[in-house]
Amino acid sequence: MNLAIDVSNLSKSYRRYRPDRPMMLQEILARGLNGFRETEQFWALRDVSFSVPPGRAVGIIGTNGSGKSTLLRLVAGIGSPDSGRVRLAGRVGALLDLGSGLHGDLSGRENVIVAGVLNGLSRREVLRRFDSIVAFSEIEEFIDNPMRTYSSGMQMRLAFAINVHTNPDVLLIDEVLAVGDAAFQRKCLARISEFKANGCSILLVSHGLATVEKLCDEVLWMNAGRLMAQGAMRDVVRQYERHVGHTVEPDDVQEVAAAVQVAVPEMPAATAIKVDPAVPAGAPVTGRPTESVRIASVGLLDGAGHPLGEFRTGQPLRVEICFDADVVATRHRFRVRVVREDGLVCCDVVSDGFQTAGPPVVRRGRMTLVLDRLDLSSGHYRVDVMVYAADASHVDGTRAPGCPLVVMGDGVREAALDVPHRWEVDARTMDTGDAGRN
Amino acid sequence: MHVRDVLRELIARDVKLRYRGSYFGMAWTLLNPITELAVLLFVFGSVLPLNIPNYAAFLFTGLLVYTWFQSSLVFATVAVVSNRDLIRRPNVPLSVLPIVSVASTLLHFLLSLPVLFVLLLVTGVHITAAVLALPLLVMVQFILILALAYPLAAVHVWFRDTQYFLKIALQLLFFLTPVFYESKTIPERFRYLYRFNPMVGIVDGYRDVLVRGVVPPLGDWILLVAVSTVLLVISLAGFKRASRYFVDEL
Repeated sequence: MNLAIDVSNLSKSYRRYRPDRPMMLQEILARGLNGFRETEQFWALRDVSFSVPPGRAVGIIGTNGSGKSTLLRLVAGIGSPDSGRVRLAGRVGALLDLGSGLHGDLSGRENVIVAGVLNGLSRREVLRRFDSIVAFSEIEEFIDNPMRTYSSGMQMRLAFAINVHTNPDVLLIDEVLAVGDAAFQRKCLARISEFKANGCSILLVSHGLATVEKLCDEVLWMNAGRLMAQGAMRDVVRQYERHVGHTVEPDDVQEVAAAVQVAVPEMPAATAIKVDPAVPAGAPVTGRPTESVRIASVGLLDGAGHPLGEFRTGQPLRVEICFDADVVATRHRFRVRVVREDGLVCCDVVSDGFQTAGPPVVRRGRMTLVLDRLDLSSGHYRVDVMVYAADASHVDGTRAPGCPLVVMGDGVREAALDVPHRWEVDARTMDTGDAGRN
Repeated sequence: MHVRDVLRELIARDVKLRYRGSYFGMAWTLLNPITELAVLLFVFGSVLPLNIPNYAAFLFTGLLVYTWFQSSLVFATVAVVSNRDLIRRPNVPLSVLPIVSVASTLLHFLLSLPVLFVLLLVTGVHITAAVLALPLLVMVQFILILALAYPLAAVHVWFRDTQYFLKIALQLLFFLTPVFYESKTIPERFRYLYRFNPMVGIVDGYRDVLVRGVVPPLGDWILLVAVSTVLLVISLAGFKRASRYFVDEL
């Protein structure tokens, strides 16, 4: 069987320099030869083996320092392992360090050509794709200006555009999908899905489980340099979450905006909040786990409780919030806001104080906000979820990163609401008898 | 070949960036040797006269050749360290980095050759067919510089004092290379040691071809080519071996 990526028994160690190791001659003289003595060795990767067949996408999850990025780098051929080997079939594309190879004093045009060649394209191939790269990055009118005059968003868009205009057989992605605004992120994801559809194998490192879920067929879970589990998303993520739940460190989880296309919620005609004490599934999002209540995940569901596909104006929306609480006596309020791209708050719902019951251990629970209908105009929105102590301020609260929502409606309107409506015409004063509808 | 495109683009980038933003731009390539020429011409033409025929042409030839040698080594030494981001990407063979530094300074050297030829003609040097050997000399010097650039660039990754040592060494080597004097004035008993400086043969070669109008003897050629090629092969192999660890150190 031919494999796109074949990694076997890969190990990599680093020497950890003692923090007091003198770095300059005068310090060495001051301390004597002890200063030269390094270090202990630590293993960034230990005996990792896996393989990826062509056309498959595999996500790598794990806490910070678990070896994900080291693994990706070694697969890309950057640096050399202590033992083991990596075999790749075909051209490698890497979205590892987007801005690298770009120079602020060169114009966008010059940078595209240099970076394109550095990405493994021939000069001729870059020139052939030049227009398409520039179009993708949406900076046509600035392409001949020096890159230092670009905003950081423009720089990242250009870098990404160059990087996705190679035809890799193997694509390595490290945490770079949070580039640009929501619309650009969707474009990037679409592009990556396209690669996959064309038979490109993908290895993706992300803290955003939603991104992994959206793109990947299976998941590797790394912990402390070892491969803990490999398999279907659902199983591995369950193990991972169980593990993370027990060793919570504030830095473990980062807020990575899950660039997932979801549906739109808005003004509810009626609002119901119900408490459901079961452990849920759904697109997990993370809050800062330092508070007494932590939002484990936020999922947007359709009226029937299924993950949201396309959301159309006027449909019902369920916002499912899974949380962990480790304080008994606190009363918590949940707050859900729907915010339009430009910051306009379209909808702001706060729950009654809700008391977590049970013994003072970590409790998991689920709140679902049901919006019976959400009459938003088409456009891009974000659903923010916050939880805080009901009798105090936001200070004790946590906040989940916004879940993107895309509302499909009849054309874009300036107003936030697209209220159900009809026109009634008094026929006696009209020449034509047409009554406008909706 | 992809490596060729990478080289071409990186060299072009280097050349574009070197003097970008400066008022005189590429003219700096010449301003340096020309000011040196003026001062040395004054010192060794008038103050301590060396009585070398065609001294201006003789001096300028040596200065340009040594300037290329010196500046390419200075840039090549930091070629790896200053390209951290290139080291972290696949598809870029690291051994191109020193080549880029040496080649972009070569371009500056080539661009100053017309000025040298003008000087040769103005001062009445008779240019002969020996000048056809010039490309060969440039090639040999390129190989020699590269052979020295690889170990310097690699060692500098671990030992950042390399660039300061190099500066001193190049300053001293300037006096141990026949730039402003003739190598035949070196006393017989030091001559054996003196020839260990490979730049001696190179500078003498340029002088033969350009100023004296003769082709250097075949023996000198063979020695030069053999020494620089063997050096290059060894140092490239060492560099490649070391380059696997660059990313861990930067």
